[in-house]
Formats: sequence, C-alpha cells, structure tokens
Amino acid sequence: MLDNIKSGVLVHGLFDEAMFDQLASEAQEIFVLEGRPNFQTSKQSIAAFNKRKITPTLISDNMAGFLFYKKMVTKVCISYQAEDSRAVLSPIGSLILAVLGKKHKVPVYLFPSSEGLNLLGKPSDLCLLNGKRIMPKNFKGYVPLVEWVAKKYITKSE
Amino acid sequence: MKSSIKESPLFWPAYLEGATLFVLDETLIPSKFHYVKVRNTKEAVSVIRQMKTRAFGQFLVVLNTFLLEIERAKTFAPKKFLAQIHKTATALNNSRPTFPFSEVTGIVVGWANEALAKGEDAPLYVKKNIFGYLMGIRERRLGRVRQLASILQNDDSILTHCNVSGELAMAAALCKQEGKKIRVFATETRPYLQGGRLTVWELKRLGVDVTLIADNAVGSLMADGLVNKVVVGSDRSCANGDFANKIGTYQIAVLAREFGIPLYVLTQPSNRIPTGADIPIEIRDANELLKFGNRRIVPGKVKGFYPGFDVVCHELITEPIAINVR
Repeated sequence: MLDNIKSGVLVHGLFDEAMFDQLASEAQEIFVLEGRPNFQTSKQSIAAFNKRKITPTLISDNMAGFLFYKKMVTKVCISYQAEDSRAVLSPIGSLILAVLGKKHKVPVYLFPSSEGLNLLGKPSDLCLLNGKRIMPKNFKGYVPLVEWVAKKYITKSE
Repeated sequence: MKSSIKESPLFWPAYLEGATLFVLDETLIPSKFHYVKVRNTKEAVSVIRQMKTRAFGQFLVVLNTFLLEIERAKTFAPKKFLAQIHKTATALNNSRPTFPFSEVTGIVVGWANEALAKGEDAPLYVKKNIFGYLMGIRERRLGRVRQLASILQNDDSILTHCNVSGELAMAAALCKQEGKKIRVFATETRPYLQGGRLTVWELKRLGVDVTLIADNAVGSLMADGLVNKVVVGSDRSCANGDFANKIGTYQIAVLAREFGIPLYVLTQPSNRIPTGADIPIEIRDANELLKFGNRRIVPGKVKGFYPGFDVVCHELITEPIAINVR
C-alpha cells in the first residue's frame, strides 16, 4: 500500500497564487497537512491545487514525521507572515516541518503568506470537529495558531 | 509506606464474566462509558479491527479470547483442542499488523503444546497459566507506574501523545498524592483523537492538571520551554531498542531531541524483530482521516493517506521504562 504513494512536496500555510503555479509546473505529488484546529491552511491549498487540476494528498498534522522517515518528502513549503533577524512567524506546525527538514536534509522553502493568522485560538476551537462535539465541557486547551521558526532551518526564502 | 495507586479505567480495559468478555469501548469515551460484549474469536477480532480497544487492551482481549475458546473446547480431544488454540491464534494474529499479536498468541500456543507433551489436562493447564500471567503483568505494570512516578519531579510539565493505557495518568495521580505538582499537555492525536478523548478524560478523572493541544503545537510548546519531559507508550519494540507507537510519536521524538527534552518510553522489550525498519506499519482506510461523523472534513478533490503508527529509533530515547512480558 505504501508503494502506491509517491514521494512529493509537503505544503503547509497560506500562500499566494504564484506558489501554487510554481508547484503545479513541477508535477510532483503534493502532501497537504490538515492544519488543526480550523483546517484553514488545507482548505486553501486543496482549492488552489484543484483549480490547477491537481489532487493533493491530505495527511494529519502528526503524519509528517512518517513521510520524512520513509524518505517520501522532496521539499517543504511553508508560509510566513512576519520576520525578524533570526526567525519567521509561520502557521503552527511549521516548526515541526522545519526541524524534520533539517534532520532529514530535506530543503525547506519559505513563501510570503497570502493573509495573516491570529496568534492564538480559543480552547473551544479544539472542542468541535465537523460540527460534532469531541471534547467534554470544562477542559483546558492551549491553541497557538502561529509560531516562530528560526531561520537556521530555512533553506531558501522565495 | 507506599501510596495506594488510583486506577484508571484504561489501565485494565477488559474483564471476563462467565462466558463473556467485556471490553471498554474506547471509541465512545468521553461521551459514553460502555463495555462491548465479546463471546468468541470473531467478535474479538472485530473489536480490535474497529479500534474499540487498542494498545494494552488488545493484549487483554487476546488472552481472554483464549479463555473463552478454551471453555468451549475443554471437552475436545487433545489434538482437536490444540487445533482450536492454533485457529484462535491465527485469527487474532491476522487482526491488525503492527501490534505483536503473534508474540502474545505464541506464548499461549507454547503452553498448549507443553501441556500435551507433559500429558497434563491441557485446557486447565493453559487457563491457569493465562490467569497467572495476567496477574504477573498487572503487578509489573503497577510497578512501572511507581517507577514512572519516581522519575517525574515536582513542577514537571509533561508532553504525552495518544494514550499510555492508564499508566501515565496513574503515575501523575500518584505524584499528586505524594505532593508533587505535575502538569500534562496531551496532543489531540488525530484522526481518532485518543489524546483528547482518552488521555484528557482519564487525567481529569484522576485530578491531574491537563491541557489539550493540537498535534501541530508540540514544536511551539518545546521551543517556548513549556514542557520539560516527554512520556509516550509503545505498541511494539525491537531487539535494537527501536519502537513503534501511534502515528506522530516520531516527530515528537525528533523535536524533543532538537530541543534537549528527555523522552521516556514505556516499552515491552522483544527480540523477535531486529530493527524498526522491520516493523510492519498498518496503513488504514483514508476515509477514517478524510471523514469525521460521516462528513468530509475538508471540501474539494483530495486523497488521504493514513499510516496508523510510526517508528522511533532507539537513539532518540532517553530512557526506556520496560516491563518483561515474557
């Protein structure tokens, strides 16, 4: 079953059209992370790839490591909405991809974000999935929506 | 004097009553607390495949299923009895690929062979061995809970993933009883959400401070110094110390190493498989990822890929907390 899945580009973030055009021209398999809690990043990416007649493969946010371990990632594309001298501010989950990229010697490319994300979500964002309650009331949750990714992990900024 | 250990329902999620095995349906927690009735091997395989139980629960289902089948086969002639034990073992071995079912069923088959070779009453011999074995495992797991509690220090902030079959929750509760302040961050663990549904639920039940995070927030937590230990379970171990656990464990282990955070793994050592590369990884139906509550989670044309487990190489482990299950 693993043999049916080709290696490809791992995409995570909110991107301008140019990034999708660039990847569409490369004709590689595309992996898109879900982007919990609201799936905003995957929804945007899937729609943009579909517009270019590409059907990406969705994975849960915890499955990226598996793809790296199995040498199924050729490059990583993440977006950023702000930067300072040492780091960029990217969607939550980007740091995992950046560290995995470093460990597995897979290049990590950075693209400007098409829109900004809030810094923090609410615990209730983790409460529902597809409109269905998945957590009982009164649980504590911590929901960062962006994180700093040190520039030492970045191969190239587009 | 040792503190008493408060038990989580996930520590021993199946029990036998008469000719029925009651298996805690972990897919319904936290909204319902319900035990599924299992009466034979076919039903046992079904609860395993549907992930109504997992991890240590699978181990309990396997051993108790033999007890159910032995009850049915106790009047069989020795050869027919042995054939029934083999048939049960084969069905359980084929239920899911990653958990080491054949290692557990092999122990029971070994007892059946031993009984026949010694001219013993095989059904009674195997039953006694299963009961004794289960009691031994229970004691060793309780010992491991105490060991883990001794590793956890006052003011520790622990990251965990999926669910450690009650042991982390019980260790954290024990720490609390002993006056240690412990905080736990639990990942959601998509797509089945075992972290949110099970780990948060059981920790709250035991009065432990627990915070839920999305799976993608572990890097942020580590980079910001919000956790100082990682504790995870394992579904299968290898001779070289590599282990397989719920999907997502590998990236947590890599990040923990990057940020200098110790990783503790509850393991059941085995030398049957040489390295992690030899562990068969279950690839589950993509619809389990793409849909939730029978509705698609994202619109558009998209494929799904759902490996159920990943492998962590031994170099990333700070300390295995092992129990012998032989």
